[in-house]
Amino acid sequence: MKHSRLPLNVTLFVLVFFYLPILVLVVNSFNAARFGSGWEGFTLMWYRKLLDQPNVWHALSNTLIIATGATLISMVLGTMSAFGLHRYTDALQKYHFFLIYTPLVIPEILMGMSLLLFFIALGMQLGLFTIFLAHVTFCISYVAMVVLGRLQDFDFSLVEAAQDLGATWWTTLWRVLLPLLMPGIISGGLLAFTLSIDDYVITFFVAGPGSSTLPLYIYSMIKHSKDMPIINALSTILLALTATTVFFSQHLTKETRT
Amino acid sequence: MKHITCGRLAATVILGSALALAGGGCGARKAELHLFTWADYFKPDLIAQFEKSHGCKVVVDTFDSNEAMLAKFKAGASGYDLVTPSSYAVEQMRQLGMLQPIQHAAVPNLGNVDAVYLKSSPDPRMEHSVPYMLTYTGVAYRKDRVKDVANSWSVFDRTDLKGRMTLFNDMRETLGAGLKSLGYSINTVNRKELEAARDVVIRWKKNIAKFENEQYKTGVASGEFLLVHSYSGDIVQVMGENSNIVFMLPKEGFSMSCDDFVIPKNAKNVALAHAFINFFHDADNAAANTEEIGYLCPNSASFPKLSEKTRTNPAIFPPEEVRAKGEIIQDVGTHLALYTEMWDGIKAAQ
Repeated sequence: MKHSRLPLNVTLFVLVFFYLPILVLVVNSFNAARFGSGWEGFTLMWYRKLLDQPNVWHALSNTLIIATGATLISMVLGTMSAFGLHRYTDALQKYHFFLIYTPLVIPEILMGMSLLLFFIALGMQLGLFTIFLAHVTFCISYVAMVVLGRLQDFDFSLVEAAQDLGATWWTTLWRVLLPLLMPGIISGGLLAFTLSIDDYVITFFVAGPGSSTLPLYIYSMIKHSKDMPIINALSTILLALTATTVFFSQHLTKETRT
Repeated sequence: MKHITCGRLAATVILGSALALAGGGCGARKAELHLFTWADYFKPDLIAQFEKSHGCKVVVDTFDSNEAMLAKFKAGASGYDLVTPSSYAVEQMRQLGMLQPIQHAAVPNLGNVDAVYLKSSPDPRMEHSVPYMLTYTGVAYRKDRVKDVANSWSVFDRTDLKGRMTLFNDMRETLGAGLKSLGYSINTVNRKELEAARDVVIRWKKNIAKFENEQYKTGVASGEFLLVHSYSGDIVQVMGENSNIVFMLPKEGFSMSCDDFVIPKNAKNVALAHAFINFFHDADNAAANTEEIGYLCPNSASFPKLSEKTRTNPAIFPPEEVRAKGEIIQDVGTHLALYTEMWDGIKAAQ
């Protein structure tokens, strides 16, 4: 019997499709050409320029503060709402589910505009805090959906067994429920982090003075900036950081398992 | 009792972090000027100098289109002291009553603003806006590959460049080029004139590769396109990389656009906003800023201070008689439908 070469080819195609653009970006961060029209020689100029761009760093720190904050809070709230949705049966549950689900399907521009109008109506000063609230709003739904999926396969007899054996409610939560749900919570959190870090539309509307995030800044650079390639440089640095973090965290988890 | 203290503690922590987020972590608060503008649109050294001399902090926020910025202000966003929209958006903001008048006494350097430009400005007396940066729409071409280029919009009739030219995918700009080629105003509302311009553009359409706004930069740098409809500010950057690119402003006239300083009604630090405008219209600062940004600050006192290289670059600094032929694209109100009709005709034409 002859093995089909199709799966291999499809895999290769998908890998190229996924990673070639990233590779181009990394290569271009060392390209002296401003427009990427061709290779004009190796340079570290964009990295050097990046160093004296306080606006970019300020935007990056805003982005990270918001993404981290929104992720942590939505992990807590999202898990709680998923738990509530799954555990209790009630005539209204259908509508509760709808409420959690809506932010996933609502057009971003609508959500951005309505949040903006809402914040203004409340007389809130727009800024990092309003962006944070807006991000939590849509992140909760993503976390809740992921955790809900995990809860569907969850064996609640484990909780009953723990209580039978005399564990308090608190111990059951910390020692049984949360550890088992943790993979779902973490992946929901990572999803939320990714969504928060590159959100543009909603962020633009609810951002206030002094709270520009990196996506807002990058979009604006397209208009007038002479230094677009510094974004390639910044992305390369972030990519390297992410890769190292992932590498070490995998390394660490492996060690604790053995 | 213990539960209550626990709850209170948690509440305090959450509230505390919320406040820290809201306040942006400000300790001893310096005066702040909130500037809402395009990214990389001010020379960073000059901003630092302004901060030092006025004992304040300039906080820069960015937008990427006039429309998005307008939408935010329409919804009621506040807290920005100074904004730099394009002229047509300034006009809309003024009509919506979002702007406050410029206090001329607080900006003595307004006397430096270029009188030639002001004649064509929608706000010639600078009542609610002060011009900041000027760009032109013209034609760029590869001098190593195209010979005998006439200084005229009629270059788009050249059949030897068929498939190697681009026009903007922009209704006002491209119809504007057609109008100018016939000697009409780019803000005309006369149907006959617009129909004639439409027919010109349809004729050009047969020769161009496509209607295009972004790729023309890399295209002309790589030689894929030989002659392109282009914005001066964009092409200056490409020229820095490829010395074979030449920019020209057609003799029949061309469109200009200007980004202006405006102060919103709900600005908090009005005095500082005026001081900032004044600072950037100081002759030396305006010259240094023009050199850095690659657009022209319409400030006549700064012109003699520009470097030879900038002064001879027609994409940054066209001579006065050429500059006088520029026309600002203005809001045509309800007549816009007429433009749309012509543009649809162009798009549908074979």
